[in-house]
Amino acid sequence: MLRCKMTLPSWSSLLWGACLVVLTVGCSQNPEAQFAWRDTTLDLLPKAREGVQGAIHDAFGTPHDLVAWDKLPVDFGGVQGAVQPAAEGETLSATQFHVKWDGPSAGIGAGSELLWMTGALAKSKHPTAMVVKYDDATKTIELKTKGDAPAAGDRVSVGYGQQLQLGRAVYMKNCNHCHGVAGDGHGPTAQYLNPRPRDYRLGLFKFTSTLSSEKAAREDLERIITNGIPGTYMPSFLLLGNNDGGKEKAAVVEYIRWLAMRGEMEKRLVDELSGDYSQTSLDAEAVKSKKSYEEAKVEYDKARKAGNKEAEKPEPAKSASQLKKTAGEELKKYLDEEFAGTINDTSEFIADAWKRADDPASRIVPTVARVADDAASRERGRLLYMSDKAKCYTCHGAKGRGNGAAIEDFWKKPGSNETYAKRGLHDTWGNPLSPRDLTRGQYRGGRRPIDVFSRVYAGIKGTPMPAFGGTVLKDSDIWDIVNFVMSLPFEESVPSAKPASAPHMAATESVGQ
Amino acid sequence: MGRFWAIFFSLAAVVTVGFTAIGAEYWWFPGDGHAHTTLGKKIDDLFYLILIIVAVTYIGTHIVLGYVLWRGAEIRKDEKVWFSHGSHALEVIWTIVPSGILLFIALYQMDVWRNYRVKAYFPKKTAAVAEVTARQFEWRIRYPARGKTLQPRPQPDDIYTVNDIRVPAGQPVSISLRSDDVQHAIFVPELRVKQDAVPGLVIPVWFEVTETGTYDMVCAELCGWGHYKMKARVIATSEEDFEAWKINAAKEQFYDGVPATPDAVAAKADEK
Ligand code: HEC
Ligand code: HEC
Ligand SMILES: [Cu+2]
Repeated sequence: MLRCKMTLPSWSSLLWGACLVVLTVGCSQNPEAQFAWRDTTLDLLPKAREGVQGAIHDAFGTPHDLVAWDKLPVDFGGVQGAVQPAAEGETLSATQFHVKWDGPSAGIGAGSELLWMTGALAKSKHPTAMVVKYDDATKTIELKTKGDAPAAGDRVSVGYGQQLQLGRAVYMKNCNHCHGVAGDGHGPTAQYLNPRPRDYRLGLFKFTSTLSSEKAAREDLERIITNGIPGTYMPSFLLLGNNDGGKEKAAVVEYIRWLAMRGEMEKRLVDELSGDYSQTSLDAEAVKSKKSYEEAKVEYDKARKAGNKEAEKPEPAKSASQLKKTAGEELKKYLDEEFAGTINDTSEFIADAWKRADDPASRIVPTVARVADDAASRERGRLLYMSDKAKCYTCHGAKGRGNGAAIEDFWKKPGSNETYAKRGLHDTWGNPLSPRDLTRGQYRGGRRPIDVFSRVYAGIKGTPMPAFGGTVLKDSDIWDIVNFVMSLPFEESVPSAKPASAPHMAATESVGQ
Repeated sequence: MGRFWAIFFSLAAVVTVGFTAIGAEYWWFPGDGHAHTTLGKKIDDLFYLILIIVAVTYIGTHIVLGYVLWRGAEIRKDEKVWFSHGSHALEVIWTIVPSGILLFIALYQMDVWRNYRVKAYFPKKTAAVAEVTARQFEWRIRYPARGKTLQPRPQPDDIYTVNDIRVPAGQPVSISLRSDDVQHAIFVPELRVKQDAVPGLVIPVWFEVTETGTYDMVCAELCGWGHYKMKARVIATSEEDFEAWKINAAKEQFYDGVPATPDAVAAKADEK
């Protein structure tokens, strides 16, 4: 994928060119890029692992051999059209004909791949062909194919998957070194960064314009890529594909959505299996079995000593290999009978969620315009900020400096009884996370009032910052809070109205989530 | 053999000058080869003046070198040679002449330097258009609201962009350059603007763009592994377009989601 390409500005730099070529010959020997697997995937029993890896591989391919799966709501690119009838008195040729396209067709060229979607050819032995020449003025296409001539009206698709390929090229050049080949946030420079680059594989994005239950819209991702995330290492790619009409940006947006779908699909399939069919679960089971045997044995010995002849001899603990064998049998049955259904349901679930994200009904639209930003509104906002309804101060501090009581507590990991090793809040990826210092005027998700409104309305997904919209706070209340929060960077000192008896949050209670 | 060296060194001069002349055709200053700021044009004049002085010196030196080698090769057995080594007069001449030239350049450029760097000598009506903050690895820019002047501290109605500096052309403007982290340098080759951004300092940089257009901007101080990513642009427009852009940018920045975009309105209607 990463090929070495040099363009020399003019012959006068040939000399330099020659030196550079010598210096860069090593660059074609890059290790082949691969999608890394989750640790939990690698922990599965071999058959289970093969099942998951096989499913993901079929649906998504490898970085060198992408699969554009039409089930996913990804714009893979290309254009469709219908074959035009031949001129009067002529018959259609197999290798040259006119097409009426549904959309812009200027991107077609020699080497584009053509796919028959309807008609006899679609079902024939030659459902694809290669474009050798294309003239956009006359919409004439020339093919290299062994197939028969099409019929007028047959539907074709050309260049399907091209957008994904462009997205990959853009991603590998600009994003890979932070976000990693698989979008796992483990690129080579990631270890130096705080906060860490986003791991897309949970399908979760923080700064969206969508409701709290929804994924990110295309528009949100594009906005982030264009503007960057101020205060983090996520840079602005304003000039990406400068003057190409947004082609590269749109392509990389599709590519990261696709990576997110791939990652989430892997995770959901593994989570389905790892409870019963992973090395860790088997080990845990072996330990449990041994422990219960030992306990039963003590009981038994005690009973024997007491003279109880009827005491039943406990069954010996199951060995690891025994457990593995039983699990293997169950697994085989599961893979044969249910796994295909699970794959289908999971992909449908993910596809639906991403489809919904771009639906206008998923978007946050305030029911009232921004409340006039005056002293009265800010004061109402301040009271709400300090209230037990919104509890903003518990995280962001009474003065908005990001030093609320929550940063002192030890928090529980979601879905378990363990607490994090470090004090303070953590995000869903398990990284420590501070509540924002609101007096600095830095808004990672954007500084438009609608951005800050959306942060409060839907919370910040994947972080402990909860959603307040719809249920806890009215839209006009949120505007008052927005007016107050956005005035904080300009206050000399915020008159603290922290209630003298501010309830300290119990460490075990998590706000909102 | 002696003639060979005479010819070799003379030819070396001809070849290097020739290559430079042809190369300049293809590989000279970026863009159309001309400076697009008033001060840039003066800087170019200085550059060309120095180029001429250097070219004359270089060619002259080679002519003398060629001549000496040629003459040396022709010396007959019985001819008496002249040793210049230790000649007091010559030493004085080739100390005084270059010093004179250097002194001349040093004094002659003072005017441009002062105009470029010394705040008291900036053009009288220089307007501060923006604060440019370099950080690893991007440029964040803050403009005062329309009709206001740039304040040292952020104001509620300031306008923000990233990697995108907008200025009106045809009038002297200045930017306040700062750094958030390490040392960076703003470099806009076509405008002949280059200035280090130093943490803790606010450095004013002024320029007057002569032609509207979009100019590439990069970081010119190795600032970390992402140094090469610090690409940005300077867009110089007419005064009216600049004002129009500001009105638009303010509208976008203070957008409150109401009225929503047309498709969102349609969706809300569907719900009812
Ligand atoms: C220098 C490292 C770096 C590079 C290069 C980089 N990113 Fe990021 N990116 C980050 C970091 C760090 C974050 C997380 C910021 C946070 O959590 O607030 C992030 C977050 C994101 C997010 C998540 C936004 C959200 O709402 O959750 C997206 C999407 C993203 N990056 C896309 C890209 C794309 C596309 C590229 C390439 C064109 C790219 N990034 C290049 C560091 C980088
Ligand atoms: C449980 C703790 C918690 C509570 C309660 C909380 N926040 Fe936050 N808030 C956070 C964290 C953590 C972040 C940083 C998220 C990140 O950077 O990923 C944050 C970020 C923010 C941001 C910055 C958004 C941006 O784009 O950078 C704003 C504004 C904000 N909170 C406002 C509020 C308001 C207003 C309330 C009360 C209505 C509130 N928060 C309640 C934890 C909290
Ligand atoms: Cu830099």
